[in-house]
Amino acid sequence: MNDFQIPRNSLAWMLVAQAGVIAPHVWSLRLPVWIVLLCVGCGIWRVMVYQGRWTYPGRWVRVLFVIGGVVGIGFGYGTFLGVDPWVGLVITAFVLKLLEMHSKRDAYVVIILGYFVALTEFLYFQAIPYAAYVLLVVTCLTAALIGLNQTRSHTRPVKTFKLAASLLLQSVPLMVVLFVLFPRLAPLWTVPIQSQTARTGVTDRMSPGNIAELTQSDDLAFRATFEGPVPPQSELYWRGLVLSYFEDGTWSQVDPRSYGPVAARQKRPAWVDRIERLGNQVRYSIILEPTNQNWLFSLTVPEPVDMDGVYLVRDYRLVADPEVRSRLRYEVTSDLDYAIDRRMPSRLYYDNTMLPVKGNPKARELAAQMRAAAGSHRDYVNAVLRMFNEQEFSYTLKPPRLGDDTVDDFLLGTRSGFCEHYAGSFTFLMRAVGIPARVVVGYQGGEYNRIGDYVAVYQFDAHAWSEVWLEGEGWVRVDPTSAVAPERIQSGLESAVSSGEFLGDLTLSWLKYRQTLWITELRLQLAAISHYWDSWVVGYSPEVQVDLLTRLLGNVDSKTIGMITLGLFFGLLGIIGIILLRKKPIAALSEVDKEFLRFSQLLAKEGLGRRMGEGPIDYGRRLAAARPDLAAVANRVSETYVTLNYAEDVPSDAMALKQAVRAFRLRAMTTR
Amino acid sequence: MPPANAITLSQKSIFILPTREGLMFAVLVVFMVLAGINYQNSLVYALAFLLASLFMVSILHTYRNLAGLTLQAGPVKAAFAGEDAEFIVILSRLGERTHEALLLGWDKQMLQGADLLEEEEDRVKLYVPTRQRGVMNPGRLLIQTYYPVGLFRSWSWVDLDMSTLVYPYPVAAGPVPGAPSSAEEGEMLQREGAEDFYGLRQYHSSDPPRHVAWKSYARTEELLTKQYASYADRRVWLDWELLTGMEAEARLSRLCYWVLQLAATTNEYGLRLPGLEIAPGRGEAHRDEVLKALAIFEVGR
Repeated sequence: MNDFQIPRNSLAWMLVAQAGVIAPHVWSLRLPVWIVLLCVGCGIWRVMVYQGRWTYPGRWVRVLFVIGGVVGIGFGYGTFLGVDPWVGLVITAFVLKLLEMHSKRDAYVVIILGYFVALTEFLYFQAIPYAAYVLLVVTCLTAALIGLNQTRSHTRPVKTFKLAASLLLQSVPLMVVLFVLFPRLAPLWTVPIQSQTARTGVTDRMSPGNIAELTQSDDLAFRATFEGPVPPQSELYWRGLVLSYFEDGTWSQVDPRSYGPVAARQKRPAWVDRIERLGNQVRYSIILEPTNQNWLFSLTVPEPVDMDGVYLVRDYRLVADPEVRSRLRYEVTSDLDYAIDRRMPSRLYYDNTMLPVKGNPKARELAAQMRAAAGSHRDYVNAVLRMFNEQEFSYTLKPPRLGDDTVDDFLLGTRSGFCEHYAGSFTFLMRAVGIPARVVVGYQGGEYNRIGDYVAVYQFDAHAWSEVWLEGEGWVRVDPTSAVAPERIQSGLESAVSSGEFLGDLTLSWLKYRQTLWITELRLQLAAISHYWDSWVVGYSPEVQVDLLTRLLGNVDSKTIGMITLGLFFGLLGIIGIILLRKKPIAALSEVDKEFLRFSQLLAKEGLGRRMGEGPIDYGRRLAAARPDLAAVANRVSETYVTLNYAEDVPSDAMALKQAVRAFRLRAMTTR
Repeated sequence: MPPANAITLSQKSIFILPTREGLMFAVLVVFMVLAGINYQNSLVYALAFLLASLFMVSILHTYRNLAGLTLQAGPVKAAFAGEDAEFIVILSRLGERTHEALLLGWDKQMLQGADLLEEEEDRVKLYVPTRQRGVMNPGRLLIQTYYPVGLFRSWSWVDLDMSTLVYPYPVAAGPVPGAPSSAEEGEMLQREGAEDFYGLRQYHSSDPPRHVAWKSYARTEELLTKQYASYADRRVWLDWELLTGMEAEARLSRLCYWVLQLAATTNEYGLRLPGLEIAPGRGEAHRDEVLKALAIFEVGR
């Protein structure tokens, strides 16, 4: 079997596809350098073998390569579990197999491994461009598959690629049926997902400066689609985290579970029912980009979510368990008017009034003075806000550094900061006089995409604000930033910071050009398309499937759905078969043929039409015999036709035949 | 399929099953679906379903590559035992549908490739090794294809009722007994025609006037008649009995050798086998008749 020579056509597509499936892994720096070198080396080796310059490596060399590859992956990744080493392994096997193509079956193995490598790309990215790219690579692989089965004489690479594309195109309708109807099952066993735990978005620790950093990113955080009108920007406070613990200038979480039971599907602790929902209810669904974190975002105050793994915790936020490792879609109902914790449990009261014993003495003094001057807690809150508003406080993305006593330095020193400075120091000022207060971190606002009818929230919309507890009112949201920079809350970050600061670190961001109308229009269009893609294709989860099928088919059991799936699948397959197998007519008639056909149809009126299967010369003779007076012109017509159609070197030009026919008609008219 | 000289492949005669590579591909798809389930990844599902659909669609294409194809028995050439017999099968198509990467033959290990792309028909030469003399019918012809993706094999067995004669294997047996040796005969035998000018003799009144040597008469005023000779007496009989003491096949092989030797000369030769006699003659038709007699003599005894 050593003499198996893979067809050139197939090898070409195989190498193109190989480069194609590996490229994104190289590009995104997921592969160790040695695997990249191995890929290049094996590719070159294979081409050399094809050109007859080199031979395949010997058996022991190959064994060495395989052992080296496995050991290298073991050491390089430190584990064989997880997506990354797995991808490395498949790619290594794929390129090494290139050097062992002794039979046609080996070539099949390479291609089939190639399909599998193509798939791994989706474990990292699912956006439209990636999907299109993978589709292209899959077409190349299919072309390689076809090339293997073509005879050597008919191997034009482009034609093979076109055939591959048409085969895949014919498969698309069937794929859609399976995609929509095939039951989406729960994972059969747990798999390690993506080792790259890049945690993006807001974090559970807030210190001056770290939200400002986040605003340099134009990454999407999540998208929210509202049923009904979208609430005004100033109402869009997406709560993510509640930070109640302050130490060393940093606000952090107290484990929400320590406050008592969580509310989940089928589980409704008493505190949930004590929430006073005062109307202004909104329903919305959120598609959250993966954060690798537990917290979800919602508007206060949400209802418990009817979904496994999503909980409402005691500080009225939603959390996910396990963390959000892939895009998550959840539906929430929130009441924007509410009263919560009118009666405060002592544990909460304690946690939210606690401050370190030492530190920030000036701020404590300031707080005491201002509280003494104010009539009530409410007045005091307003006085602090007025201070931010009326005194020389400024809102900036690039705040100066602060010393150890961050609150003192900020309030009485630099006086320029970002939302976390204001929220943090405001909360401090509250606690300093014994008012329960806490910092809330999340996002504020978002961009309404009217084409896709959703609100897109980007990382630069990250925000921090405060909640204070007032006697008789419960928790009240107070956003000190709005006192400094009201435009931040009304129309977003861009209008609140000085020009050049907004996404200043990103030279090329679509979102920097929000002022240019057509760019914005185009961006919104593309964003809307990608939103539909994310919600209906990438986000086609078991829940969405059940929802859609119930809407389309009503309440049907799985057996009926199975029957419908099979029926549709094979029905469509049958239709494709009928189209493929229908008898195609003989090629369209040429001009010369048409002219001759007209000629015989004309004579058919005289009873002298051309008979079935009668050759043109015979027909000419029969005409000549029937009408001796027209013999010469009739023969000229048939001879011209034969010459034009069958003689070599004569261009098939209908003019000569037309002239002959005209001569015939003229003659026929004059002799009648 | 009942034997016929031209067969158009259709649904009734075409079989189709996945190949081992096809099963490998199916396993790949199953793994992909598993990956889709475990990673809850819609696009992995989508790719798995796309390939599953490709698998199914390729059934249609592989079937289509055979359907509508017409196979027709073409001319055959006789062979000597041990040689390859040549059969020509004419493939033709209906309408516009093309057929690519067809494989046909009687032996699964030795299939001949053929395409019908631009051309309306293709004459495929198939060689079948022969071992025994007689009438050889290679049986049902296998035509199959893996095109386009090799995941399925569709095939059909067609009986074109083709057969050919297999002559005995010629075994050198020395000069032909009773034939003039080529040295003695020389040029004379190479002359054309059955009647050759031989000499002149005195004219008899019964001689036909066109045989009179008029040129000579003009010169000598003596009437002479041109004499023509024919070699009717140079007849060779190839007789079974010439080779007594040998086995039947050995005798036939040697007779075959002599036939080939004689066929290259202008000698007339006849054949005597037990229970069969072919009168002496010449020419290709005669040679073929004699060889045929040798081929089918007591076949199957």
